[in-house]
Amino acid sequence: MDEMQEIMEDFLIEAFEMIEQLDQDLVELESNPDDLDLLNKIFRVAHTIKGSGSFLNLDVLTKLTHHMEDILNKARKSELKITPDIMDVILESVDMMKALLENIRDNGTDVTDDINIDPVVAKLDAISKGEAVATENEDKAEEEEVEVSDEEDDISEVDLENMSPEEVEAEIERLLKQRAEEDKKLREEMKKENSSENKSESPKEEPKKEKKEEKQVPKKQEPKSTPKKEAQKNVPAKKTSNVEQTIRVDVNRLDNLMNLIGELVLSKNRLIKIYNDVEERYEGEHFLDELNQVVSSISIVTTDLQIAVMKTRMLQIGKVFNKFPRVIRDLSRELGKKVNLIIKGEETELDKSIIEEIGDPLMHMIRNSVDHGIESPEERIAKGKPEVGTIELKAYNEGNQIVIEIADDGNGMDPEQLKQKALEKGLISEKEADMMSDKEAFMLIFKAGFSTAAKITNVSGRGVGMDVVKTNVEKLNGIIEVDSTPSKGSVFKIKIPLTLAIIQALLVAAQEELFAIPLANVIETVRITTEDISAVEGKSVLKLRDEVLPLVNMSDIFKIEKILGMNQYLYVVVLGVGASKVGLIVDGLIGQEEIVIKSLGEYLKGIEGIAGATIRGDGKVTLIVDVAALMKLAKETHSNTIATIAVEKKKKKENPEDYVILIVDDSNTDRKIMKNAIKPLGFQIKEATNGEEALNILKNDSNIDAALVDIEMPKMDGYTLAQEIRKYNRFKNLPLIAVTSRTTKSDRVRGVEVGMNEYITKPYTPDYLANVLKRNLKLS
Amino acid sequence: MSNQLENVVKQQKEQQGFTNQEKVEKDIVQLVGFIVGDEEFAVPILSIQEIIKPIEWTRVPFTEDYVLGVFNLRGNVLPLIDLRKKFHVPDAEFDDNTRFIVIKIGNELAGFVIDRLTEALRIEESSILPAPDTGMDKDMMIEGIGRKDDRIISILRIKTLLKTED
Repeated sequence: MDEMQEIMEDFLIEAFEMIEQLDQDLVELESNPDDLDLLNKIFRVAHTIKGSGSFLNLDVLTKLTHHMEDILNKARKSELKITPDIMDVILESVDMMKALLENIRDNGTDVTDDINIDPVVAKLDAISKGEAVATENEDKAEEEEVEVSDEEDDISEVDLENMSPEEVEAEIERLLKQRAEEDKKLREEMKKENSSENKSESPKEEPKKEKKEEKQVPKKQEPKSTPKKEAQKNVPAKKTSNVEQTIRVDVNRLDNLMNLIGELVLSKNRLIKIYNDVEERYEGEHFLDELNQVVSSISIVTTDLQIAVMKTRMLQIGKVFNKFPRVIRDLSRELGKKVNLIIKGEETELDKSIIEEIGDPLMHMIRNSVDHGIESPEERIAKGKPEVGTIELKAYNEGNQIVIEIADDGNGMDPEQLKQKALEKGLISEKEADMMSDKEAFMLIFKAGFSTAAKITNVSGRGVGMDVVKTNVEKLNGIIEVDSTPSKGSVFKIKIPLTLAIIQALLVAAQEELFAIPLANVIETVRITTEDISAVEGKSVLKLRDEVLPLVNMSDIFKIEKILGMNQYLYVVVLGVGASKVGLIVDGLIGQEEIVIKSLGEYLKGIEGIAGATIRGDGKVTLIVDVAALMKLAKETHSNTIATIAVEKKKKKENPEDYVILIVDDSNTDRKIMKNAIKPLGFQIKEATNGEEALNILKNDSNIDAALVDIEMPKMDGYTLAQEIRKYNRFKNLPLIAVTSRTTKSDRVRGVEVGMNEYITKPYTPDYLANVLKRNLKLS
Repeated sequence: MSNQLENVVKQQKEQQGFTNQEKVEKDIVQLVGFIVGDEEFAVPILSIQEIIKPIEWTRVPFTEDYVLGVFNLRGNVLPLIDLRKKFHVPDAEFDDNTRFIVIKIGNELAGFVIDRLTEALRIEESSILPAPDTGMDKDMMIEGIGRKDDRIISILRIKTLLKTED
């Protein structure tokens, strides 16, 4: 039973693959009805499915394919000419075949009430009979089923010498089919002792045999060898080399592998971080070199491994493109337009998960191009364009991204008209329309509720769709760009990352919290001062070169409490999705890192503005920003928050009285000495007796302006305290002054390493301490 | 079945310890007890993946206040929920007894902050009383009330722990 199941699964996989190809071939056939190679290829598919289907007792499927085969066989023998009308019927039956196969996949049987093949079979029959006399096909099929078991005899019985090339071919086909079937049967019976030449365990090897036979037969009739046959010989030969080098792997295994690689990348990041720490600490020591070598080689290997595994998940985008010729054909017939589809770069590879997701959006855009882009033939002629419109679909690599381009030479779009339309529908305001660039205007078509089609067809133009396209593309971290010239045509570019699981990200800090922003959406980062920010109608904007960017503070978007003081400089990350841009004020730029996207889990999924999380080198979790959603949030925040500029300025400090100094020392006497040295100047003073206490005071009271720190202390020493303090963004610039009796050079170096600003050795004069403090507070 | 075989099976069962006892005494429920605020709660021992000391977590915006954020448990990102906040008990500082209990709920793992662990409990199923029906959020989360010595222990309904309140 399991064996049967396995065969069935193999059959389905094979059948679906063949059908995918079939669609494309059929459409091609329509334009080249005399291409015999193509006809043969198509015939073979129908035949193979018929054969395997009958073996698996799929009677409905067998009946359908059998009738298809009839017609194709006639076409092959030039008894029938494929007209568009006949092609319609053939395509209809292919669709039915698909439906049946899907039903088999889902329910295990091809008997269903939903699909009735009789009308199609009747049509197929009519074509077959209408054009020619009934042939011996019926008998042939039966013959085949009977003869399955004794193929060997069969070969000897056939009088090859007396056959016409076509008949030979038919015979080859038939024999091949029997071979394949017998093969399967053999596998089913699993009596594998006979494996003299048919030792194949998997159907994938069948094409090999096909080739073998192919060679055998022509040898016997060398004089008759025609170009036709040679061409045929080539096809299976090519197939063989492909097939032999591939292996079918369960996607789950690859996903699992990808997860493991993800873990490895995280560990690698962590290793690099640790190495950097160690390097700082033990600079110049011998073992560092060795460690460096190991770390870099692991790092390189991990990266290579990651690329290699990523590649195993790559599929050619042709898999998606293949169905479009059929779509275009059907559409153009339906709409009475003439469209020529040019496909380029179908060998471009993309991650499997992206391939699966990109099909629908692409389909919609293609439909859109045919429906709205390409004009009717009359209109085209009137405009002096060629009667047949052209849609070019191409894919290519561009850096770390894949670009899919859909270009048509149709109507094009008029930005002014689009704006007008959006205004009428209340999608934008008058002011927005005025400010809008042409590119932004083109993006209007992706707004929900926007449809430019004057008449609503069942193809597109229902006002849903293009916005869904955009959402889907954005889900893949992709962006859409549109360019168009009225009456010349439009170009849509979809840019998507190669893979979804591991991405390059820019790490930024909003107050104390870190966020990862996918680098693909970061246009640039700029450092500005508060003076660079201008206000337009109470909203902050940044004039950057010739553009005006809305400015939003990241802390405002994510409602993060502002605890940091104002810095002289602000960092702005310019984010771009499609044509819109936003300037995001952050409190720090941490750097660029390769991150592995992890889901936040079922419970926390769907949080606005957050796409997932990653684990960084230090083991901490960092949230990954969903740029498209963030930009939406940013726009809301931008219009709600009047002045979004960082923090309100702290009360200006001019005199020592305005400053709070924290004195950290375990010795009461030492604390007193320090107090006596600075108190007379008017500073406010707080005291702590060890590092831990000091840290707690600092955490709960952000008014501390500087700290005088002893090194030798119980619980937490001065070095550790300094290290801990520097971990907080808000204390990054807090003056830390070590006051200690440790005087060796290595102590001083250590002090600098952990982040002390000054190092004062005991004993010292009160003036000296006061001066150092004042210098660090920039007090004169 | 021969006697010998029976003996082997018996021995193996004995070696399995817990599972064995569980099979034999079907009406004993094994729980882990812990304190949140002033009350003692318990969850089935088998639902607990592990119990760890507090580690650093990352805040997540736009979540309920009792969701402290997410933390890293050996490469997995898990939500962290403060049971004090969830049960509307006043906040308290973390101390040496504070623990994260990592519980498996369906296919998802989540961490819960508790004040301190008490002990592993074995309570007879028959002695567990149904939860009082006061219609309060907190009581919705309670599967039943168990007694051990003089203590009253609220047994939590695991499935409701990750449900949003609205």
